[in-house]
Amino acid sequence: MKTPIRLENLRDASLETMAEYFKVDVSNVVLKRLYTLGLPNKKSESYRYFPMESLLSTEYETLDFTPLEVHQKEKIEILDGQVISIPPYVRVYYTHYDDIDMEHYDPMYYLGHLLNPRVIMIEIDGDRSIELIHRFTKPNALIHYRLVIKNQANRHTTLYESFESTNAQGSLVLHGYDMVVAPDSTLRVIKNQNIQNEAYTCVSSHHYKVSRQANLVLQSFDFGNTAALDLFKVELDTYATLDAGHLLYLLGKTRRGIVSQIVHKGEHSSSKQEAKSILEDDARGIFDALIRVEHSAIHSKTVQNSKAVLLGEHCYMISKPQLEIYIDELEASHGATTGQLDSKQLFYLRSRGISEKEAKKMLIIAFANTLIDHIKDARYQEKVQKSFEETFYSHTKEST
Amino acid sequence: MITLDIKDLHAKIGDKEILKGLNLQLEAGKVHAIMGPNGAGKSTLSKAIVGHYDVEITAGDILYKGKSIIEMEAEERALEGIFLSFQHPVEIPGVNNAYFLRTALNAKRKHEGKEELNAAEFLRAMKGHLEALGMKSDMISRSLNEGFSGGEKKRNEILQMLILEPEVIILDEIDSGLDIDALRAVSEGINKMKDGKRTFLVITHYSRILDYIEPDYIHVLKEGKVIKTAGVELVAKLEADGYDGIVEE
Repeated sequence: MKTPIRLENLRDASLETMAEYFKVDVSNVVLKRLYTLGLPNKKSESYRYFPMESLLSTEYETLDFTPLEVHQKEKIEILDGQVISIPPYVRVYYTHYDDIDMEHYDPMYYLGHLLNPRVIMIEIDGDRSIELIHRFTKPNALIHYRLVIKNQANRHTTLYESFESTNAQGSLVLHGYDMVVAPDSTLRVIKNQNIQNEAYTCVSSHHYKVSRQANLVLQSFDFGNTAALDLFKVELDTYATLDAGHLLYLLGKTRRGIVSQIVHKGEHSSSKQEAKSILEDDARGIFDALIRVEHSAIHSKTVQNSKAVLLGEHCYMISKPQLEIYIDELEASHGATTGQLDSKQLFYLRSRGISEKEAKKMLIIAFANTLIDHIKDARYQEKVQKSFEETFYSHTKEST
Repeated sequence: MITLDIKDLHAKIGDKEILKGLNLQLEAGKVHAIMGPNGAGKSTLSKAIVGHYDVEITAGDILYKGKSIIEMEAEERALEGIFLSFQHPVEIPGVNNAYFLRTALNAKRKHEGKEELNAAEFLRAMKGHLEALGMKSDMISRSLNEGFSGGEKKRNEILQMLILEPEVIILDEIDSGLDIDALRAVSEGINKMKDGKRTFLVITHYSRILDYIEPDYIHVLKEGKVIKTAGVELVAKLEADGYDGIVEE
């Protein structure tokens, strides 16, 4: 372990002090972006509903970077920020990354790059389905790493992302992707993150660049009673498409959600973003999502929708679907609903002799299934479904 | 024997009183048809019988096999053998039709003290019903009523009726939205259930369905009350004179 770190100390630091801390020149553009945006506080738009300040003011251990042996396996495994296994058709190496998005809205994106001047570069050959496991094992630590993922043009790649932890209580994980979806290719990212009982806290900040005629599918499944925030920005080139689905199932007093920005840059680009949230107890869900259609993106299509079901007496959903449009030639729609389970559906089930309790369970699982069913691979679909149902049933058991 | 005895029933939806002292007795093993103009209270009556949350009963009683059911929950009424085929069955995306049907059937079997059926046993039990109703087997693997045509939804209602084997069957506008082939298949499913013990209450605007399901009694409902009860010959009179031509008894 190295010297402990309290990120809050950087809040009022001068540019020079920050440069010294990150060991970069004061003219470094990434540093300047972080300095301009400032560390998140209660007034920061993207972190208004998330307890970022308390995470930043916590003191964490920092981890030594001692290269670990990399094994060949059928999956990519990252242990506390370091790659420990890779499949044979994947090239992985640590490198400096120059294609950082200089218009990202999230200061943590820049902080992540400054903390990780060398990113984990993953280059994937051919049509592949790859499992990527993030594993955390250090307590009270700041675990930080960034990945850059590149696929090949005209290829289909699927990335199944899951998270495991042992003894990582009190740790803050700061990580994120920079992904470049190659022209005419399809990249699917299916994320399954179930965090229970403060196992660790996670803030992810991503940038996805979808090239001409490429397709990006983002499906995120976030369950549990522990705070986490997923922030991402997607840029769509000409004829590029994005299909994003987010399922939140939150328990306890957790604050968790999605903050996103989808930017249509190219003509005929299209995006679809669907969020479904199920909140129990005192949980707070966040869906703060902006879609921006720029002047260059004529004939674009965009659909955005958020539906939340509130099951707890004190739970709360922050749904902020937003459209920012600079052209007339497009198709766009967005909406948000927050409420209880559908009374007509509930009655229909009960009228067939199914108890109210069982009928409610069926409707909640059904609500979740409408997104889980979109996972193409049956094996992984089953994994996500199991993760959801285990969390759901154990909570139902506890509350009865 | 009287299966369902509705006595001086007053019921409202919101602030509006719809049923205004309705009396009706349904005999075991008989087919009763309720006819009446729009707004007469036909659907409210069916909802009151099954315990729909929209309907508030303000006076009167509903006795099922001599026991009051108005304080019972909807699922208890269903388990006791009362079934409503909905005019507009709801779609429930994400609830697998087969899972729903098996859950409902097993709830009933459990209530009756019988062994629950596993998935294989259930599918075997379903096979014949699906064929009889002309339903494709993939319909039970889809989400409940999601994307079903009007005819498919009504067939699915009848499928539920066949497997749950209720004692009182209420068919609310079962013929609406059905083409002639679907109407025939649905009617055959209903007629299959006529065993001289079950009671049917057929709610309809039009006499067309009564060509397929022969009623024993016709009840005319108007302004929240049954104003006339007669045999099947009343249908012809209604066709000729309309509801205005019926004088309250």
